[in-house]
Amino acid sequence: MDEFQSGEETSFVVEEVSNIMKEAIESAIGGNAYQHSKVNQWTTSVVEQTLSQLTKLGKPFKYIVTCVIMQKNGAGLHTASSCFWDNTSDGNCTVRWENKTMYCIVSAFGLAI
Amino acid sequence: MSDIAKDKAARLLKKRGSVSSLSSHEVRAKEILGKNKDSMSTVSYVDEPGHDIPRLAVQLENTYQLGPAKRFPVVTVNNILKDVLTNYLQEEKYEAELCRQMTKTISEVIKARVKDLMIPRYKIIVIVHIGQLNEQSMRIGSRCIWDPASDTFSSYAFKNTSLFALANVYAVYFE
Repeated sequence: MDEFQSGEETSFVVEEVSNIMKEAIESAIGGNAYQHSKVNQWTTSVVEQTLSQLTKLGKPFKYIVTCVIMQKNGAGLHTASSCFWDNTSDGNCTVRWENKTMYCIVSAFGLAI
Repeated sequence: MSDIAKDKAARLLKKRGSVSSLSSHEVRAKEILGKNKDSMSTVSYVDEPGHDIPRLAVQLENTYQLGPAKRFPVVTVNNILKDVLTNYLQEEKYEAELCRQMTKTISEVIKARVKDLMIPRYKIIVIVHIGQLNEQSMRIGSRCIWDPASDTFSSYAFKNTSLFALANVYAVYFE
């Protein structure tokens, strides 16, 4: 009979995840100004970097990472999310980052397997 | 300073926002972290999971199922998204207060309709973005780590003369 009891509590740790996201944003777009030609590449690199760091945590989670990069032009943006999941094990974290020319909003959702 | 005002507004928004869900969890926006000379970031999250109801870790029995019994119907959900977005936003003009309520309402409505489909063992995440059309450029992207055989997503983008709306539904199989 297999009684596999993992040592640590596997739940979504916001602290770790938000640090990972902030690092990914800084390294991908920190210090850059908004450029339409590069933004596709930026979103891809932010999201993929975040995901690869999240997988390195080695937790039994499925991840969904969303990134929005918007030019600062006085326009408004609203985002809402609704989730149907298990509150004790799943969680999400959103990091809003901005500089002089653009906003970047990255959300990570982690669902326990 | 506009940054502080924006942060306060965001915090208020998050606090008010939690009331609409069935089990209202306090959404906390942490203080401004990592303030560089030319960039600023804030973090927000739903209240720490597992700390409100302390219960022993539930050990689920094996299901011996290799995959989902009923797959997620992407086309049906696409139609639901199209339906909901067009009905709610066809005639609307972008207004800050209205759109704030609208995003929350729409995401709850979409979640309810997808739940009505009664797809067993699937966890659902609905994300709705509503923004103003103002000659600005924007890119929304997402990547997922999951099992592509059982998990999927559905997306629909709507546009009228003054606003655009994007709705994404992610369905993740709970093994």
